[in-house]
Amino acid sequence: MTEHKIETPKERLNRHKAMEASAVLEKIKHDYKEPPRAMEYFYDLYERVHCKHESLHSDKAKVGTMCIQVPSEIIYALDAVPLRLCNGFYTDDEIGSDFLPSKSCPLVKATVGQFVSNNFSDKPDVIISPTTCDQKAKSGAIIESMGFSVYDMEFPRTKESHESREYWRRSVRKFTKDLSENLNTKLSKKKLKESIQKIGYAQHLYHKLNILRKNTASPILGKDMFLVTNAFFFDKIDSWIDAMKKLLEECEEMVEAKVNAASKMSPRIVYTGSPPIFPNLKIPLLIELCDAIIVADETCSSNRMFNDMVSVDEWFINDMIDSIADRYLKGCTCPIFTKNDDRKRRILDLVKDYKADGVVYQAFAGCQVYEMEQRSVLEAMQKAGVPILYIESDYSPSQSGQLTTRIEAFVESLKNRKRRQQ
Amino acid sequence: MKKIKDFINKADIRRFRFWLQLFFFVLFIYGGYFAINLGNSIPVFSCGYDKEVGGMCYFLPLQHQLARPLDVLFSVASISVLIGFVTFLLWFIVFNKAWCGYACPLGTMQDWLTGLRKKMGIRFSTYTQPQFDKLKKIKYLMLALVIFAPIGVGMGILGGEWRTAFCEICPGRMITPLFVGDVSQWSLDFSTKTAMILTSLGLIFTGLFVVGSFIKKRFFCFFCPMSAMHYIFSDAALLKLKKDGDKCTKCGDCYNVCDMQIKDIADDVKSTNILRDDCIFCMKCVAACPEDDALHVDILNMKLFTSTKGGFAKRMEMDRLEKKND
Repeated sequence: MTEHKIETPKERLNRHKAMEASAVLEKIKHDYKEPPRAMEYFYDLYERVHCKHESLHSDKAKVGTMCIQVPSEIIYALDAVPLRLCNGFYTDDEIGSDFLPSKSCPLVKATVGQFVSNNFSDKPDVIISPTTCDQKAKSGAIIESMGFSVYDMEFPRTKESHESREYWRRSVRKFTKDLSENLNTKLSKKKLKESIQKIGYAQHLYHKLNILRKNTASPILGKDMFLVTNAFFFDKIDSWIDAMKKLLEECEEMVEAKVNAASKMSPRIVYTGSPPIFPNLKIPLLIELCDAIIVADETCSSNRMFNDMVSVDEWFINDMIDSIADRYLKGCTCPIFTKNDDRKRRILDLVKDYKADGVVYQAFAGCQVYEMEQRSVLEAMQKAGVPILYIESDYSPSQSGQLTTRIEAFVESLKNRKRRQQ
Repeated sequence: MKKIKDFINKADIRRFRFWLQLFFFVLFIYGGYFAINLGNSIPVFSCGYDKEVGGMCYFLPLQHQLARPLDVLFSVASISVLIGFVTFLLWFIVFNKAWCGYACPLGTMQDWLTGLRKKMGIRFSTYTQPQFDKLKKIKYLMLALVIFAPIGVGMGILGGEWRTAFCEICPGRMITPLFVGDVSQWSLDFSTKTAMILTSLGLIFTGLFVVGSFIKKRFFCFFCPMSAMHYIFSDAALLKLKKDGDKCTKCGDCYNVCDMQIKDIADDVKSTNILRDDCIFCMKCVAACPEDDALHVDILNMKLFTSTKGGFAKRMEMDRLEKKND
């Protein structure tokens, strides 16, 4: 007779999360046209980390980051691994709801929820909270009150001024010094240069793959691209680079053979707004189920994370740090900044560059900054004659009926428009 | 054609520039030995006090010409002044400020000093933005000195020692002849009080030139009246530095590598002509821009050198992976 064992709350939670993750993975793998073979690596990676709770970095110091503004270059150069804490689990979102106001952003709630349940396949040793949006900044303090070590890395909310550039450069210098003391590792010129170039190389691969999506027959669906970029949050960088190289090669062959991941009439979508983070890929999955294809995006879980690159004139430590700082502030199109001109420009440029037929703007209910920028982006798109759909969503699985109807209608209208234009 | 374009856009602009600068340095400083002389209307600081000069800086003849009595200056005799000026313009119009970044011996020397500092592992210093905004006006004051001091002499308001007042204080006068072993300029002129003040200023500026450009990239170019003069005519030039603001993400990569700390290059997304008065047209910004076609150098509206993702990755050595360290 087998011994009967009662599931602990933590085990139950893990089971719920694994179920949530595997349900989405199953959809991603089987509900769409056949993905590139190289995607197998990523599907497997998510299964290992999110379903089987496998640890990837047991031998390294782990630095949790609350936003993309924390420079990975510096963390890698200090022999540690950056792990992005932005969370997409509904299970964690529900737990976090007890700790934050009910109208908060689900991403922030889910992040806090994960700390409440103290449930990590790789648990961060220190948490870096760049004081970006109010909710992230405040949740840093909440997480700290739970007994975690949180470091506030001060981030300016205006980025045009000379003062903000200087302020952020100082923040990054201080962060480097403090982290190096915390990890008891000295930052060397050589290591920093290597890590800048390694991340640069990863970005270079991403860009090369992205450019392939400009083709009329795009080789890869947006949902797969989101998985690839999301994997950068937690994967071993070298494994990620290897997998990316294989994917890139395969996609290049596909372009050569004119293989289309979507169908001929599929409208091309630029995706913007609150970041799709695994397993909450709800909206991208719906869009592509409705026979559209996401060809580009402007979100911090993908394009914005990879777009701007560090350029250095003289490879001295301080120079490199300043250059890194600039890359994380100046090019950033996060809606927390006072103005959103840069984001509008970026979206319009993506629409033009990737010959998109429309834009989908997702805002998480409770993510004030994205909600507030909605109107001005809509206005800019209308002025440029670009159809746009604004969607408010959260992590709950219950909404999909209504969302499907809206997205279907939007995609249909884009198709009609396309037909008329032909 | 596409291959040639790709080759140019991926070029290692630093090496290209180093050799071109060396070529022009030899040409301007030692040209006399090779019986080369490109005349005396050259839009760079190749000092006329250097006996072997291969082409003379336009400011020395300009000051001499302007110092004529007014009635002579405004007579037919001044046709030669006009010819000198037109020659200067013709030289300039083709290459625009690239004279500064690629040909000026004083600029080249500053880059060598920068190279020396880099070898010694010392970091450069920068100005803060408010300092920058104040200091950048100095070059126009210098240009005013170049133009109005000799006119003042011609009008009889100023003494004869003001004739080439700018040259007296220009570090080029003391430094460039050094390269042919001529130290005769390294002396104070005690003939009059003014001459004494001007030549001592010359010594001080020369010291500043050496120390300044060691710690700050292109220190002197910031105050250079030739740069101010260039800027006045730069709209007419064939070579242009252009920007496509739609493609710019304001990431600041170009600003980071800019020797002249020109903020507009990164922050201004409205101007298409992005050449600013401090620009030395070294094209480092174009080489450091990771966005396709956001910055480009045009000649007669044809793209000569343009920013590309591939070129950026190659120059930053990000197009391959040297070593794994995870």
